[in-house]
Amino acid sequence: MAFGLKWAGAGVFCATEVRVQFHEWLAILTGTIVQAVLLIFVWVLAPALLAIALVGALVYSVFLIGQRVLNEAAYVRIDHKLNELYHASPMSPEAYFLGMSSGIFLAYLPPILVIAVITVLVAPFDLRTWGVLIACMLAVWSVSATLGYFISTLFKDMKTIWPYSSLITNLLGIVPPVFYPLGLVPAGWRWLALVLPTSSATALVNGAAGFEVLTSGDILLAGGSLAVEAIALFFFGIYWARRTAREA
Amino acid sequence: MTEPALRAEDVRKTYHSRRGPAVEALRGVSLALAKGERVALLGRNGAGKTTFLRIASTLLAPTSGAVEVFGLDVSRSPELVRPFIAVVPQEGKPFFHLTPREQIYAYLRARGVDRETAKSRTEQSLEQMDLNEVANRLCITLSGGQKQRVMVATVIATEAPLLFLDEPTIGMDPFARRSVWGSLRRLTRAGSTILLTTHYLDEAEALSQRLYIIEEGRVLVAGTAEELKRQVGGTMRVSITDGGKLSGEFASFGTCVREGESLHVITGPERINEIMALAMREKVSATVGPVTLEEAFLRVVGRSIEEE
Repeated sequence: MAFGLKWAGAGVFCATEVRVQFHEWLAILTGTIVQAVLLIFVWVLAPALLAIALVGALVYSVFLIGQRVLNEAAYVRIDHKLNELYHASPMSPEAYFLGMSSGIFLAYLPPILVIAVITVLVAPFDLRTWGVLIACMLAVWSVSATLGYFISTLFKDMKTIWPYSSLITNLLGIVPPVFYPLGLVPAGWRWLALVLPTSSATALVNGAAGFEVLTSGDILLAGGSLAVEAIALFFFGIYWARRTAREA
Repeated sequence: MTEPALRAEDVRKTYHSRRGPAVEALRGVSLALAKGERVALLGRNGAGKTTFLRIASTLLAPTSGAVEVFGLDVSRSPELVRPFIAVVPQEGKPFFHLTPREQIYAYLRARGVDRETAKSRTEQSLEQMDLNEVANRLCITLSGGQKQRVMVATVIATEAPLLFLDEPTIGMDPFARRSVWGSLRRLTRAGSTILLTTHYLDEAEALSQRLYIIEEGRVLVAGTAEELKRQVGGTMRVSITDGGKLSGEFASFGTCVREGESLHVITGPERINEIMALAMREKVSATVGPVTLEEAFLRVVGRSIEEE
């Protein structure tokens, strides 16, 4: 119970979410369409960038989990009122938040693993790069799941939520250098790409894999930003879950 | 009285909105439930029943006032209160992509119930709610009433000391409703306390030992169904066909209510013979029946609306 956090029930709720999500296997499958299409474009138009695009596809896939959390948390709360069933129970709000986020992460892991296998075939990573990739993916998951959960609590109607879900996914997943190299970003905007969670993660992995050259300043900025964002947002997620367990 | 299961003192709730005027949903509700009691909250739509239930079940913060569950303040220590309670939310639905069996079991496990107990309570609850036939079907394939039964079964299986049920039998057929009543009675016999809201007055009468009528955020009446009925002037109703024009003749027997051409006389059982004799003399047909809770509710709430 470090920091007064109570995780009891998170594992069960995670398993519940995995079970629920697996019934929507088509959604899991179609969740990789954007990545697949972009990878095909890159393969046809600029095959030399395929390895970078694959790293981008991995990071983007994890970032999409935030969108799933947003939709699921909103659906469960607005349409099913199941959040009330769980919040008025011994299971803590942080366990609810973590259980849902990790359950969706696990359910959406298979397509991510397929992309990882393709990445290994196209551009084998050394152990250090795998370490950086996994750390970055976990950090992106923390950021995106928290953002998703946070936004899901702000609205009372599913239809209002959908545009925000799409906006955030595109603004942070497609526009910044996730599927394309950091080197293509104008010098004046490079710092912004290095502080955004998705593009900082891809920059760090591409740097570790030797696909792109990063200065130590770039690494420090990208790594520091991502770590701070991941940790800060994770704790914010817990705070927000607790705060919204009871309406003001 | 020993420590009550639930005690509310002057609970008020005002909803503020940026776009419209503030809404006072509760204007000083005070009530108490003894351990093992079944109590119903009645009221029109928007009267404040759900708001109160959500405050008492730690889901909504009151604007002022206090609610204690087994002596624990729900505002100050919601996390201490939650192990003692379980809630059927209004219009709640189970996970569509779980089966009823999975839904109940997963919820019990999430509450910290051990595997064996969770399994046996799940089976027991499925049996009680007559859900065995559909226990392995995905909830999305169930009818509305069956989904509602799954929600009730989920909460009943917790055997929590204090249960809040917000319109628990909505959409259920009469057989299913009676199954729920039976299960709730069993739970209170075992020591649980139940606070429910319902719009089915027959349900409130059959199930609750006491009831509170809430109107415009205030407790209008509290007591047993019989006490409430007595407040309308008697426990018996004589309905006189074509008696509308005879209200003057029957006025001395009790409260007369005209409904179209008919006249209803609310009175005590000791006046029935006299009324029937007068009806025979006047050559009008009359039927005798008990005053229903619905009639009492309509009279009490209607009187309150008229006074306002």
